[in-house]
Amino acid sequence: MAAARPGWSRRAQYGLFFSLLAVIAGIVVGLVLLAMSLVAPKTFDGIRGAALDITGPIASALHEVTATANGLVGGAGNYWDAARQNAELKRENKAMLQRMVEAKAIVQENRQLKATLQLRERTENVIAVGRIVGSSFNSPRRFAILSVGAKDGVQIGMPVRSPDGLVGRVIDAGILASRVLLVSDRANIVPARLLRGGIPVISQGRGDGTIDVRPLEVGRNPFKRGDIIITSGTGGLYPPLVPIARVVKLDDDGAVALPLADPANTSFALVQPSYEPAAVAAETAPAQDAP
Amino acid sequence: MVRAALDSRQIGRGPSAFAAYVPAATVVAASLLAALPIVSNSGWYPDFGYLVFIGWRLLRSDPWPAWWAAPLGLVNDLFTSYPIGFSVALWSATMLALDLIDRRTMWRDYWIEWVLAAVFLAIDEWMQWQLAAVVGADLPFTTQLPSLVIAILVFPLAAWIVSRTDRWRLGR
Repeated sequence: MAAARPGWSRRAQYGLFFSLLAVIAGIVVGLVLLAMSLVAPKTFDGIRGAALDITGPIASALHEVTATANGLVGGAGNYWDAARQNAELKRENKAMLQRMVEAKAIVQENRQLKATLQLRERTENVIAVGRIVGSSFNSPRRFAILSVGAKDGVQIGMPVRSPDGLVGRVIDAGILASRVLLVSDRANIVPARLLRGGIPVISQGRGDGTIDVRPLEVGRNPFKRGDIIITSGTGGLYPPLVPIARVVKLDDDGAVALPLADPANTSFALVQPSYEPAAVAAETAPAQDAP
Repeated sequence: MVRAALDSRQIGRGPSAFAAYVPAATVVAASLLAALPIVSNSGWYPDFGYLVFIGWRLLRSDPWPAWWAAPLGLVNDLFTSYPIGFSVALWSATMLALDLIDRRTMWRDYWIEWVLAAVFLAIDEWMQWQLAAVVGADLPFTTQLPSLVIAILVFPLAAWIVSRTDRWRLGR
């Protein structure tokens, strides 16, 4: 197209020239689309959802195969090490029993306290249960593909959690599958607090599967290794009291934490309704994250 | 030579029926690799679609009409969760840049092609990093380096697969 003159043929010369124009048009169209997807990411919700409906089911089907293979290998590994594991489990079981009795007592006490305070519990209903079947493994962003979509009631903005902890929130919803912005993505900022002491902190992903946690108030570093970070419910996007991560390393003014819900090992993910839909609609409309 | 030409396997074999569409189809197939059920906490896998795309373009100057770069890029954007328009612009620009480079280079060998591919892959990673920063995910560039090194090391493999596919589609 931009190659040297192809000879004396006018036809060939025009052909080259028009293909050059076509490529330049391609660049321009690409830049315009890119600008639109950065400035007004909602423009492409429909087409993104349609693409998810193509890749989601493929990923789901392949996931079954790999999960079975992994299960076979893991199962064999468990037999290999059975005696030691058995001893360990017995020890853990004993410790857990003690903790359980304590927890039951606390629950009872909590119920009495709440009754006296006349607190009404918010119902924690689940919209859909899906599996994490894929991820954005070739991008600096951290997304995961969830095997449930609009057909199951999933909508953009809904929080996603697993039994272990917070996974993220839905940012693209197709009919059959949806895309989740993981808590380890740099653009996912979760208002949180320390389980020990309830100090308010901010959790922000680091893009590599870990999370940065910073205290809201500047001053002494409140973190210790092994601290659990839970959501605070501030902002209304995520429900409160969902565990997010465990602190593994301290740095100057905060700490690095590891998400408790590892998307690679999460068997089921629960999609929940937005905690306070009105607040979410107001807050996410201008600051909707572009994928 | 004559004897080789008379080898029974070679006679009567021409280009396959869809030879003109095979290169574009392999690029789409590579983009679809994003649907693999890999759940990774680090984005270290290469941009498969772009690897195969520059593999074809470095092997031949006309694997597809130049304007096909835009729709192929759109397919890649849709399957890989990149911002829509990113691959459209980058892939079209790659076609243009490689045509200009073709006019300048005196000779080509494997090393030059690898260096060219490395430069384009670095531009790809750098632009992804820039775009992530624009939408609020500003990470240090060092987090992109492993993925770039892996992509550069994987390129010869992609180029080999592309050249085998090329021989197959032309019936050689």
